[in-house]
Amino acid sequence: MNAPTGAEPSPDTLAALFEILKSFNKAGVALTPGTRFSEDLNFDSLVVMEFIAVVEDAFDISVPLNTLPDVATINDLAIAVEKIVAENT
Amino acid sequence: MADLLDRFAPLMGQRDALFGDGGVNPFQVKMDQVLSQTEAMIGNRRTILVGTNNYLGLTFAPEALKAAHDALEACGTGTTGSRVANGTYYGHKELETALCDFFGKQHAMVFSTGFLANLGILSTLMGPEDYILMDADCHASIYDGVRGSTAQIIRFRHNDAADLDKRLARLADKPGNKLIVIEGIYSMLGDKAPLAEIVAVKKKYENVYILSDEAHSLGVLGKYGRGLPEEVGCEDDVDFIVGTFSKSVGTVGGFCVSNHPQFDTLRLVTRAYVFTASLPPSVVASATVNLGLVKNGGALRKRLMRNAQKLHAGLTAIGLKVASENSPVVAVVAPDPVTAVAFWRGLIEAGVYVNLALPPATPYGYSLLRASLCAAHTEEQLDKVIAIFAEVAAKVGLAAPVEKKRAAIG
Repeated sequence: MNAPTGAEPSPDTLAALFEILKSFNKAGVALTPGTRFSEDLNFDSLVVMEFIAVVEDAFDISVPLNTLPDVATINDLAIAVEKIVAENT
Repeated sequence: MADLLDRFAPLMGQRDALFGDGGVNPFQVKMDQVLSQTEAMIGNRRTILVGTNNYLGLTFAPEALKAAHDALEACGTGTTGSRVANGTYYGHKELETALCDFFGKQHAMVFSTGFLANLGILSTLMGPEDYILMDADCHASIYDGVRGSTAQIIRFRHNDAADLDKRLARLADKPGNKLIVIEGIYSMLGDKAPLAEIVAVKKKYENVYILSDEAHSLGVLGKYGRGLPEEVGCEDDVDFIVGTFSKSVGTVGGFCVSNHPQFDTLRLVTRAYVFTASLPPSVVASATVNLGLVKNGGALRKRLMRNAQKLHAGLTAIGLKVASENSPVVAVVAPDPVTAVAFWRGLIEAGVYVNLALPPATPYGYSLLRASLCAAHTEEQLDKVIAIFAEVAAKVGLAAPVEKKRAAIG
């Protein structure tokens, strides 16, 4: 989802992700929708796994592994989460 | 322009930081002479092997050696072909029949390795409308297998049946089939799946199947060595069992068994089965013979578990943190990779081989000295292993030697 999708996640979704990220953001990187998990936050595969599990609990969803290659930024994740929430309702 | 392999630079940097001082490293270990199931010469040093996954010690079973020699003479060194072309010999079919008898299942497929069995079955079984729910600690071959699948892949928290339940509940209205993927014994820490609870969760929902990888539990668990489903008493509830011949069975190769009525369809559509050469006849013959020894291996299983308990108790008494009780895998948790490397080097230099396992290949980011027991280990060997662990642990600052500890208590 590096190409513009035209989709804008809701501020609530982004705020919820920022809140969850607080405990994972050990280096105290300033968080914006464009913050990248791997390059900016230095998440390795184990941290990604734990972080996604907390996001899944918070939104009561399962994020398929298939989704993750398309998720580079917090904005990408917010869009993916909203898509899954919409599919479930 | 960046070099092809430049993207691995961070990993190689980590390797150099840990091993770059020229000391012995795990990637250099070479068995120069194999003395038995439990000892080898590594360079000039006689070494006790406590990290081979050779749980029942069948790699030198005389019956299997003879069968392998006979097959080698009769059929040659290899089949030079796929199972669906010229690579199915009478031995491959006999082995599949032996697997059906062993597990009490109607169908069996033999693959060239356990890795290929997972890769083939998991990439093929489920379709685009389906869901695979896998334990997060599953083996790399399972991760690679599901990556090739067109299904949606969902991970649940390791050994957490409640988390699995939650995820199945979210999918309850979706029409697709669901496959739960677990392992009987997880390789790194040696812990078992909570299979009874997982079966109970499975039964709450429609169209849910279970696939269990019994790589480390085949031959180890159950009265007849059929793995965790036998031990737990729920073999009919596990729809697919995948396993390997490279651990308790003492050779190499993989398999999948099932009662699914259309199982044979998989022979035509599983690419890791169709497009690779079949096992050499000598390997097939030794696997068939050893499978019989596994079935009748109650005494070996007892010895294995006695050895496992001895090592677990011995290492715990030193003050080391050991992951799982009553498991043929005894994994010592080191506080960080640097200490783990120093510990591992101390052991190998004193004549004890265990596996060094570092993150990200380990759960919880643990740095592990992973030992696996063999039924053929003697008490004397294990006493020596425990004494060497105590010495090295003290050297790397992880625990006091047993003698000192006793003195302090006294």
